Amino acid sequence: MNKRWKRDDLIVRSLADSYLPLALVLGFYVILHGNISPGGGFQGGVLAASGVLLLYLGYGFRGVATAVNMERMHKLEAAGALAYVFFGMLGIFCGYNFCRNVLYNSGSIGDLWSAGTISLMNYAVGFKVLTGVGFLLLLIIALLSTGDEHEDDGTIPTTEHEEGGAAE
Amino acid sequence: MNYDIYSHFPVLAVMLYFVGAFIVTLIGKRRTARNIVAGAVMLISLALLLALVGPVMLDGEIITYWMGDWEPAAGYAIGIAIEVDALSLFFGLLAAIAVALAGFYSFKYITQDDANGPFFTLFLMLSGGVMGILLSGDLFNIYVMLEVMTFAAVGLTAFRTWNPNAREAAFKYLVVGSIGSSCILLGIALVYAQCHTLNLAQISAILPGNLNPTTILAFALLFAGFGCKSFMFPFQPIAADAHGAAPSSVSVLISGVFTKTGVYGIIRVSYFLFRTMGLTSIQTMVVFIGCLSMFVCVTMALNQHDFKRLLAFHSISQIGYILTALGLCTGIGIAGGLYHAINHTLFKGLLFLVAGSVLYGTGTTYLEKLGGLARKMPQTAALFMIGALSISGIPPFNGFASKWMIYQATFEKAAETGSIGYALVTVVCVVTSVLTLASFVKVGQSVFFGQLPLEYENVRETPLSMRIPMWIMAALCVITGLFPEQMIQYVIGPASAAVLNVPAYIDSAMGAGYAALTMADYSYLAEPVISFIGFWDPVSWLVLFAIVMCAITLASLMGKRSRGAVTLADDERHAVFFGGEAAEYSHVAGADLFWGFKHNLRGYLGFMSRAHSGVTNDYVIWGVCALAVITAYCFIFI
Repeated sequence: MNKRWKRDDLIVRSLADSYLPLALVLGFYVILHGNISPGGGFQGGVLAASGVLLLYLGYGFRGVATAVNMERMHKLEAAGALAYVFFGMLGIFCGYNFCRNVLYNSGSIGDLWSAGTISLMNYAVGFKVLTGVGFLLLLIIALLSTGDEHEDDGTIPTTEHEEGGAAE
Repeated sequence: MNYDIYSHFPVLAVMLYFVGAFIVTLIGKRRTARNIVAGAVMLISLALLLALVGPVMLDGEIITYWMGDWEPAAGYAIGIAIEVDALSLFFGLLAAIAVALAGFYSFKYITQDDANGPFFTLFLMLSGGVMGILLSGDLFNIYVMLEVMTFAAVGLTAFRTWNPNAREAAFKYLVVGSIGSSCILLGIALVYAQCHTLNLAQISAILPGNLNPTTILAFALLFAGFGCKSFMFPFQPIAADAHGAAPSSVSVLISGVFTKTGVYGIIRVSYFLFRTMGLTSIQTMVVFIGCLSMFVCVTMALNQHDFKRLLAFHSISQIGYILTALGLCTGIGIAGGLYHAINHTLFKGLLFLVAGSVLYGTGTTYLEKLGGLARKMPQTAALFMIGALSISGIPPFNGFASKWMIYQATFEKAAETGSIGYALVTVVCVVTSVLTLASFVKVGQSVFFGQLPLEYENVRETPLSMRIPMWIMAALCVITGLFPEQMIQYVIGPASAAVLNVPAYIDSAMGAGYAALTMADYSYLAEPVISFIGFWDPVSWLVLFAIVMCAITLASLMGKRSRGAVTLADDERHAVFFGGEAAEYSHVAGADLFWGFKHNLRGYLGFMSRAHSGVTNDYVIWGVCALAVITAYCFIFI
């Protein structure tokens, strides 16, 4: 990383401040309207997760680390995936097949709430991607920022043939 | 279309693995809760698949399950299907058994590693991906699951991140595996452009009559792609590196389950989708690739110094047997190939777990450092003997029955076609079997017998929770070997009949009569006839072996009156093998055991060692060349 890079630059920080709400709103808009417009859970999730990157640009690693809990984000990703499977299983619970849309008569075509289970699954995907991509970005940022503070993977064993060596 | 309760079982079996993977992530560091969830998931999935044995294997029903009730309309299957015939269930059961045993083994095994939280997430993801491929009836879902499976396997290969070998192996695996995945994706795109559907059943109805250059290219791409996943001949070095670095319970999955999805893909592509297996040229190609994999890998295995790398090469050698048998396209050939598939999963799984136990106890799998462990780990040594005898095809263990069927199938094919080539294939099969036995003599000699090095004086027997899965696998090895007739009647027979019964597969998905309307010809689709030549009752063979062994022992005892009085030459290391001398630390290392044989073949073996250079670029070139050759061959001969 370039050492002369000034993290607390006022212009970058103000731009991050103003773009962060935009990114989040756009992301959640795309997730919510996944069933009636282009895009969907995955695309919206990635857009919203870019908020993590904006936070990093504006406030550095310490700012991101105080704003977002990495471990919790990791757990929430799994919860999002479980929610998807649960909405898929609703079909089986209601006596149909897996992934069957069991709320298909709700709302009129073109409304925000008109796709029944599909919307719910879409929201689950959006949540999973938002947390998953956010977690990935945090991980990458964390690896970048530990460059000079402490080297935690500097201990590379030099055994040629041994897979384990962990007999202690 | 019926909605019996068991039609939900396949999708539940697949989803449970993924649910388990995510719950394990949620649980985090609590080890007991994590083990309970992972164990329950693996057992329930196995139970769900076992419940399908009745309707699918015995009654011959084919379960078709449309996601979200999107059934085919106006002759087009738009929805995503799960279609379970006897072939899918056969491979699915195989996978579920291997996953459950390897999973229970890893509870204790990975406690030595520090970051064991993500292990079961990836492990269950890999299992779910495999199960998704095997049970799916939709070509694109197969691709998606293939990617899930590949990336989980890459992650697990690099699981011991402190080991630079593991990271390097994972990188190679990622690069070469991506070649296979890209080939499959491109092949699927071409098939979709031609058929406008992704449903396996509908493609197998539409495609075979209309082979044109596009579909021939698609066939070559799909064949090479699935071949890459099964690590057949030019892709085998990746397998060796990955197995050498991955934890042993993961090696069980990569060797016993991951490669089987490649074999399953090849069966689906060449027997169902394109039905090109009826052509002599494709049969020749598959048998040729199988023989090459078999022979090259067994000679490479003979040359290895690492327990797990050696097992990895044997694994591909056995895949070569399976491909050879399947390429014959006769009833007994298919049955023999599938029988060998189940046996390979069992005995190779057992051997990898034994290697894992040796690593757990001693901290190394390097053959030259080990020795005499049978005194310290008697049960592990016994388990190794069972696995080694099974893989070498000694009765009454399971390798004997399936190898006998493969010999017979190649021999009958030679008699039927009158070609000298297939007779040579039989010879290659037998020679490979002999070399397999030779290299396991080497492993047994250098790991479990001979002198115990001083630093392993305090090695203890494997923990009980790791021994139980191994004993179950060993018991399955004996059971599948002792009752070949029952195995063929209840398991192998239905599965191999399903391979040839394409119309039933199509009709089950698309509605009765669809196959008769669209299928061009049924030419080679006959009921498999499985009849045996010769006397192949495993018990009688065992008795014969016992008698011969007694005779040899007697003869050697009578002949050697001057035991103990042998004077040794200066070079004791090579002169002694099992004499009664008292020389200390004259343990014959594994590398020296067949030194004469190796010396005579040094040209070939040296060339092969140099060819396996370990450079990713070289392996990529091998893969691309293989793809080019397969494509050219298909264009010339189809």
